[in-house]
Amino acid sequence: MSHSLQRNDSEFMWMLLCSTALHVALYLLLVKFNFSAVPFKEGPVYYVDVVTLPVANPRAGTPSTPGSAPSKPAQQEMALPAKSTPKTVSKPISAAKKPAASTETARQFEERMAKIEREVDAKHVSAALNALQKKVAASGNGGQAGMPGAKGTEAGSDYAAYIRSRLMDAFSTTISFQSKNPEVMVRLTIDRNGKVIGSTFLKSTKDRIFEDSVRRTILKAEQTFPPPPGGARFEYIYRFAPEGISKK
Amino acid sequence: MKKIFLVLMIFILPVMAQAQQSYLEVTAPGNRQLQLAITACKSLSGIQVTGIASEIDDALRFDLTLAGPFSVMPGTGGNNDSGIRPGEFKFAPWKAVGADMLIKSSYKVSGNSLTLEFRLYDVLKEKEILAKRYSGTIHDTRKIAHIFDDQIMLAITGEKGPFSGKIAFVSNLTGNKEIYLMDYDGYNIQRLTRNGSINLNPDFSPNGREIIYTSYKRRNPDLFRRELFTGAEADISHHHGINITGAYSPDGKRIALAMSKDGNSEIYLIDKSGKQLARLTNNPAIDVSPAWSPDGSHIAFTSDRLGKPQIFIMNADGSDVHRLTTNGAYNDRARWSPKGDRLLYCRMEGNGFNIYAINPDGSGDTQLTSEGSNEHPRWSPDGRFITFSSKRGGKEAIYVMRADGSGQTKVSRGNAGDSHPTWSIRW
Repeated sequence: MSHSLQRNDSEFMWMLLCSTALHVALYLLLVKFNFSAVPFKEGPVYYVDVVTLPVANPRAGTPSTPGSAPSKPAQQEMALPAKSTPKTVSKPISAAKKPAASTETARQFEERMAKIEREVDAKHVSAALNALQKKVAASGNGGQAGMPGAKGTEAGSDYAAYIRSRLMDAFSTTISFQSKNPEVMVRLTIDRNGKVIGSTFLKSTKDRIFEDSVRRTILKAEQTFPPPPGGARFEYIYRFAPEGISKK
Repeated sequence: MKKIFLVLMIFILPVMAQAQQSYLEVTAPGNRQLQLAITACKSLSGIQVTGIASEIDDALRFDLTLAGPFSVMPGTGGNNDSGIRPGEFKFAPWKAVGADMLIKSSYKVSGNSLTLEFRLYDVLKEKEILAKRYSGTIHDTRKIAHIFDDQIMLAITGEKGPFSGKIAFVSNLTGNKEIYLMDYDGYNIQRLTRNGSINLNPDFSPNGREIIYTSYKRRNPDLFRRELFTGAEADISHHHGINITGAYSPDGKRIALAMSKDGNSEIYLIDKSGKQLARLTNNPAIDVSPAWSPDGSHIAFTSDRLGKPQIFIMNADGSDVHRLTTNGAYNDRARWSPKGDRLLYCRMEGNGFNIYAINPDGSGDTQLTSEGSNEHPRWSPDGRFITFSSKRGGKEAIYVMRADGSGQTKVSRGNAGDSHPTWSIRW
């Protein structure tokens, strides 16, 4: 028993020595190649009060702190271009970096910046259009996209939510109930012309006045329903309840 | 077996899928009243009888204003088309003034007989909801309007209104406390007792054809039963001591009352002829004012067994007595709602009483009145309204209000001092 223990101790000592040697070698290696002292540069931190953000002239540098003495307006940190507006701005980013002559007025500067922004926007739109064209070409359906049979006049893809908004508007003018927690679930069917062709009460707390107010809601809201997207029949379930009464 | 399971799954799975279908919430704040327009009652015979149109208009407006779901529009909004039948008038002007519902009516008089026709329309749906024609005498004008209002409540809420019911009450009109009967709105008063004594605590039988009341006409507070149509009367409990606060059981076959024949006031059960069926309480304290639950399984009563008068509930056989009210030092005159979900009682506060409502389990204790001293609360037969007596205007008078305490309206027409109201079903 004691022999076995002695043998284990010697193995442990060897392992410890090896580990120590390896760690020392690794440390020396790191010191040699300057890995140990990776410089940590703390970046500057800016705080912007987004609520009372002062409107500053972009050329005027940092906005003045509230309460401090008014700064001298003549002192401009950003150099202005010599000419009022460049004739062509082929590279907007580099143009923006160009030092502006000190004679450029604020209006001219704004015009120049607006032009740069327009060009950047145009670039983005162009890129998005190219991507879309590539996508359409790759889909292999002859360039057709969107809702089948749609004419561009239909409501958006979230038709159910739109109908809900119309129902809510009407419901606020008709809501009436006599029980404590009235609730009605209605399956609403709307035909391709936006006309309600079916309203089935799936669940009701049997408050007759509330049920009637839901019927009135549908009748009123129906006048504002657009045709469903794709000229298809629309069917969805809506739960009517007074505001603040949670689902049981 | 596998085939059966497969077939079942084919049918069940679509149902389950449908059950889990998503939905969108449509909510709105508030609780809007239905805007109700009432047009003037038209004479069809061309003979204008003074008072009929105004009486109908007055009764319709009074009932439907108290009803709760409606906001009765003043006037006719300038729209008073000639016809009352569908197609004889246009809905557009009524829509324009914001009316949700419209009542049109006409009458025809021939001698003393009167024919009244009422029609209720849904303005938004442009649809007739209700159409009724009634025949009677000119004296029945208000009664007919009340009956139609009951039908309106049935059509709109699914439950008939109580407007054609009567209120029995005690009045000091002649200088003595006699029992009277009136329409629930205070019209058509009829005197029932003429004994020149003190008569108290009338209670209608469930069919509304009889009342029981306590009278001192034999120099002892005895309990009498009176048939309203024949006027026949019987002394059904005349034991020595008190025979008071009688209450018909929901089936009308039994009467619970307080008697002191055995020493102190206890609750007893008798049949309609006065035969004693059971003694329900046996306590040295005073037990009075029994009130039946609508299913007849429980009785609420007042007892001072714990020191001060409080409301207790027991089984209809007298077992399992437990205290209901815990707030207030003096609570009395409990009345169970027709639906069984609430009990009314009055609580002493300062120098007077106020009416409270409480759930049968003791929760939801809610004060309903605050002005003056208010006592003797009773439910309307449908449980939507409460009648009570109040001293808020000086002399005690009969009032009605909605079950939540809103719409408190005096219905007593005189100023003699009216109390102990009880509301019957239509009869």
